[in-house]
Amino acid sequence: MPPKHYRAPGKKKEGNAAKYITRTKATKYLQVSLNTFRKLCILKGIFPRVPKKKFEGNHKTYYSLKDITFLAHEPLLEKLRHKRAHEKKVKKAKARKNKELAERLLNRMPTYKLDRLILERYPTFVDALRDLDDCLTMVHLFASLPAVEGERIQVKRIHNCRRLSHEWQAFISRTHSLRKTFISVKGIYYQAEVQGQKITWLTPHALQQVLTDDVDFNIMLTFLEFYETLLGFVNFKLYNSINVKYPPILDPRLEALAAELYALFRYVATGSTRKPAENQSISSTEEKKDSDEKMDTCVNESDLQLAQLQHQLPSNEPGALMQLLEDSNNDDDDVDQDTIECKTLFKNLKFFLSREVPREALLFIIPAFGGVVSWEGEGTPFEETDEDIAYQIVDRPTQGHKFLSRHYVQPQWVFDCVNARIILPADAYMVGMVPPPHLSPFVDDEAEGYMPEYAETIKQLQATAKKNVMPLPDLDNQDLADPQNLIADGVMDRTQANEAAEERRKLQLLEKQYHDELKMEMSGITYSATLSNKKSENSGSEEMQHKDEVVVPVSTEKNDEDDRAKLYMSRKKRGLYEAIEISNQRKKDKVALLKERKRKASASKSG
Amino acid sequence: MGKEKYEESSSDEEVNSSSDVVEASSDEEVESSSDEVEVSSDDVESSEDESSSDNEKVEESDSSEDEVAPRNTVGDIPLVEWHKDEEHIGYDIKGRKIKKQPRKDKLASFIEGADDPKNWRKIYDEYNDEEIELTKDEIKIIQRVISGRTPHAEVNPYEDYVDWFEYEDKGHPLSNAPEPKRRFIPSKWEQKRVANLVRKIRAGLIKVSDQHKEEEHNVYSLWTDDTDSVENKKHGGYVPAPKPKLPGHEEAYNPPVEYIPTAEEINSYELMYEEDRPKFIPRRYLNYRSVPAYDKGVKESFDRCLDQYLCPRTRKKRINIDPESLKPKLPSRKDLRPYPTTCYLEYRGHMGPVNCISVDPSGQWLASGSTDGTARVWEIETGRCLKIWEVGEVARQICWNPSPDRPILAVVLEYDVLLLYSGMGDIDIQTKMKELLHISEPGATEDAGDSKSAATWIQHEKHDGIRMKHFKAVSSIEWHFKGDYFTTVVPSGDSKAILLHQLSKKHSETPFRKLGIPVTAVFHPSKKKFFVATKKFVHVYDLSKVEKIQKLETGVREISSISIHPGGENIIVGSKEGKMCWFDLELSTRPYKTLKVHSKDITRVTFHRTYPLFASASDDCTAYVFHSTVYSDLNQNPLIVPLEILRGHKPEHGRGVLDCKYHPRQPWLFTAGADSIIKLYCH
Repeated sequence: MPPKHYRAPGKKKEGNAAKYITRTKATKYLQVSLNTFRKLCILKGIFPRVPKKKFEGNHKTYYSLKDITFLAHEPLLEKLRHKRAHEKKVKKAKARKNKELAERLLNRMPTYKLDRLILERYPTFVDALRDLDDCLTMVHLFASLPAVEGERIQVKRIHNCRRLSHEWQAFISRTHSLRKTFISVKGIYYQAEVQGQKITWLTPHALQQVLTDDVDFNIMLTFLEFYETLLGFVNFKLYNSINVKYPPILDPRLEALAAELYALFRYVATGSTRKPAENQSISSTEEKKDSDEKMDTCVNESDLQLAQLQHQLPSNEPGALMQLLEDSNNDDDDVDQDTIECKTLFKNLKFFLSREVPREALLFIIPAFGGVVSWEGEGTPFEETDEDIAYQIVDRPTQGHKFLSRHYVQPQWVFDCVNARIILPADAYMVGMVPPPHLSPFVDDEAEGYMPEYAETIKQLQATAKKNVMPLPDLDNQDLADPQNLIADGVMDRTQANEAAEERRKLQLLEKQYHDELKMEMSGITYSATLSNKKSENSGSEEMQHKDEVVVPVSTEKNDEDDRAKLYMSRKKRGLYEAIEISNQRKKDKVALLKERKRKASASKSG
Repeated sequence: MGKEKYEESSSDEEVNSSSDVVEASSDEEVESSSDEVEVSSDDVESSEDESSSDNEKVEESDSSEDEVAPRNTVGDIPLVEWHKDEEHIGYDIKGRKIKKQPRKDKLASFIEGADDPKNWRKIYDEYNDEEIELTKDEIKIIQRVISGRTPHAEVNPYEDYVDWFEYEDKGHPLSNAPEPKRRFIPSKWEQKRVANLVRKIRAGLIKVSDQHKEEEHNVYSLWTDDTDSVENKKHGGYVPAPKPKLPGHEEAYNPPVEYIPTAEEINSYELMYEEDRPKFIPRRYLNYRSVPAYDKGVKESFDRCLDQYLCPRTRKKRINIDPESLKPKLPSRKDLRPYPTTCYLEYRGHMGPVNCISVDPSGQWLASGSTDGTARVWEIETGRCLKIWEVGEVARQICWNPSPDRPILAVVLEYDVLLLYSGMGDIDIQTKMKELLHISEPGATEDAGDSKSAATWIQHEKHDGIRMKHFKAVSSIEWHFKGDYFTTVVPSGDSKAILLHQLSKKHSETPFRKLGIPVTAVFHPSKKKFFVATKKFVHVYDLSKVEKIQKLETGVREISSISIHPGGENIIVGSKEGKMCWFDLELSTRPYKTLKVHSKDITRVTFHRTYPLFASASDDCTAYVFHSTVYSDLNQNPLIVPLEILRGHKPEHGRGVLDCKYHPRQPWLFTAGADSIIKLYCH
């Protein structure tokens, strides 16, 4: 008998060996270095697989053979080879001190485009949006890195990242599709909903980032290369969808003041047409009209009019202009309830940002929820002395001069309002105060089994906002008779309802006892006489206790039942069952730990 | 400039050749040249003067050696030898003899030397025959020479090198070749190359760098509307990377108090393994401005990148199910009644662990054997101990004869098997039994001759029964259902490990050879079949043909006991690792079901003779009661339902329940424990 793995010559491989290939073999097959292979994999989105049987050993990386043949036919592979050859030429020229040639060769470095790869990886736009999380996080991270010549990252790319991220933010803000925000220690998380896709990204705090040495920037830059291209195309598509010409041309004055985002807002808001600007200038008015008719959507028309208006109006009144645009656009956007809710959250409210407040985040968030915002500096829409400002965002220990007409709140207030979708009372967020805890909007407290105190307060506030008449349950007489209704109102969660029901039952018992006693008094039975009765009652209660004791064996019986069932399970199922039980227990322990800490904290506070 | 210099040097040569020409050729050229040239011409004049001057003039020259020019002209000859006896020491320059100086006597010269303080500076010059007084400068020079320095202090031996000649753009100074023609006409090859480049640029093959830069922002509508209809189908199943985990409350810059671990908890993290340690420790900042930059931001982003291209991806079915739904739907226990549930009676009396029990076929008596060296018979319903035999050794197993008219007990001791009359039944039976249990001596010898080493039948005087002596330790005994035959197992007996005995003939034989180490053996309840359990297998033999029919693979490590279903087609096997296997002989030679029941050794498994019940007893102090319906329909698998866990025995030296037996007619279970108690569980 031949050995187990013997394969007759000429017979094809079968099974896992035919479907998978190790990384070393793949690089040999493609005739590329490991670095090139890595780059190809990153750009093409090819990842290792787990074969059912690791035929070459456990410590190897396996790729699908189809993926590798797919790579072998990739034109990019050839391009990369060209590039490598070209780099060699440059190196040679430099070694021969032929500066001119080296320079010329460097200028003519072969390039490649990734648009085809993007279409290949994301055949539909929704696919691209679905995978945008990492892309946005990375681009925002690089946008916040120091743009210093001589660092490991080219300044040009950092500027590109900054531009792309601002464009994205401008779009999100314009379409009011931001849903959740969260200040974490790592940075600020945002969640937006674009075409039904929830996109979450993280932006670092606006501080100097730490570049560590344990990071291989080559890998990150390869990823960034793809992400930059992807985000460029996505932005194009998105801007097109709201009829705004894509590579936006910004007001150089604002750009110089590092207020690109605001400049973008203005650009998007004025809705510059998709036609190239040169054409517009050249074409006569008639042609313009023709083209208008061609487009003939009311949106464009209004946009154009607005654009013309914009030229006439003094440039430092964009707030009103934006408002105008909002109104004109309200009809044609078939938006869902959520968007409307978001759009109207800060409607008719003016915000002013103090110097020390991180401007970019708030400049992004507040307009996304319908507010108008200004800041300290040049080129701002309105001054600090504006009487209509309702909220001034301040992050300093004390505020010297105060306008009585406005609230001075900490930045967290904006984030909490956005997450709660109501305007929270500003008292707790005043200057110099320790703000209430900031809660993550990404946590489902019900599922987690533990609800922080402040989440409950917010819930109640939401409920009151929903029904302006509904009183706070804490303040009013507790209507425990129907906790079900409260659940329906969303005021209480299930556990609370259960507790309430329990309490109600106890109360009823007490009431009944009280009534009985009253009756007995009425009928004239003396207390001493009742004593004996009580004894019997006590015995009755003892019986009850006995019953309780009986319950205990019942529980052991239940254990027995468990054991019985476990006996009969297959080993696989039993393992699964035990694993589920362990994880449930872990969850319970976590909640218990939280409750314990909470109890201790409140005890120490009161004591 | 170079050419000028060149001419200068040539003029110098001319000057050297004849001085007259120098005087004559002092035209503009020489005049206009640099000072150097003049200096050199001066030198020439001076050298001329020297050559013409006399000795005095020579002494005037700046060289220190020339100053004291030797008067003597004899040259380098051994003066002392040749002029020793002469009046002169040599000749001066004009050929006159130089007279020797008068010799001073030593004393005079010494006195002179002692008086003169400058004497140490004087040296005698033998060649000129005179005394020279060295000057201070000369002394200094000598001192410097001795100390290895340059003689003259003003000379700097390490002076910076000044290259007076300017090389740059001078070309080779020697070549005076005219410029070649090729320097003036355009290159043919260059022209060809330029033409080629121009052609390529026009064809667009080469891009001028300005064009290159324009193409940076070329984004266009990549996704057209009709791509939405394109089915997103990737080969090999594209698995999108899992999204990063969303932050919880604890990651907030200002989380609720309860999310912040106490200092003790943070310290306790230090003791944990690095893998178990929480990656993120929540912290509270009182305001937004005090939040520092996150130092691990870039690193985490990098890690995410690594995960995306290095981590193998698979689709994993994450089942979110209620654990209760995993439990099998067992039939309700109520429907399967009756079965033993509660302890009803305890039989106390044994002084040591009760090894074995057996129930009389009538269901009235219970026999038990213990390590205290006694075998007892109890009345089941009252719990009264009826009879005690002092067997003197540990009773390993006890077994009632299944025939109702033969109330005989078989008790296994170390090497012996005792066949005892239990004392039940009327007088007829008593006499019959006495006859049966009587051995005539010749028969015994005949047996001994026949199979000498296997077993010998001896009359037991003390208890009035038969004592069968085996050659090695006996482990188990089992009666045939008719009550005449029985088998004993001698595990270390090699080819004589299984013995079949016939009670009526007092005859033993060893029909099976070539077995492994048997553990136990049982008869089929109705057919002529015989089951032998070895360590891992169960062999099924046909008794009439004495050949193996089946070999059952249990898959357990060590079989401890075996029991046959009354129908005869199903077997349960208990193992020492707590597993129980159910075999359906008609189905397969592999277990139909393996149940991991106990945490310790299973000591006994047993079927009920009439009810669909079986039980297992184990050293973990529990006994399990199972329901088992065996269907006559061949297509339907037997139904096995765990019913009850019976607890109550206490562990003794790591042992728990040692034996369990069902009542032959009632759904009652007897268990014998290592705590020397026998318990009866009733329904």
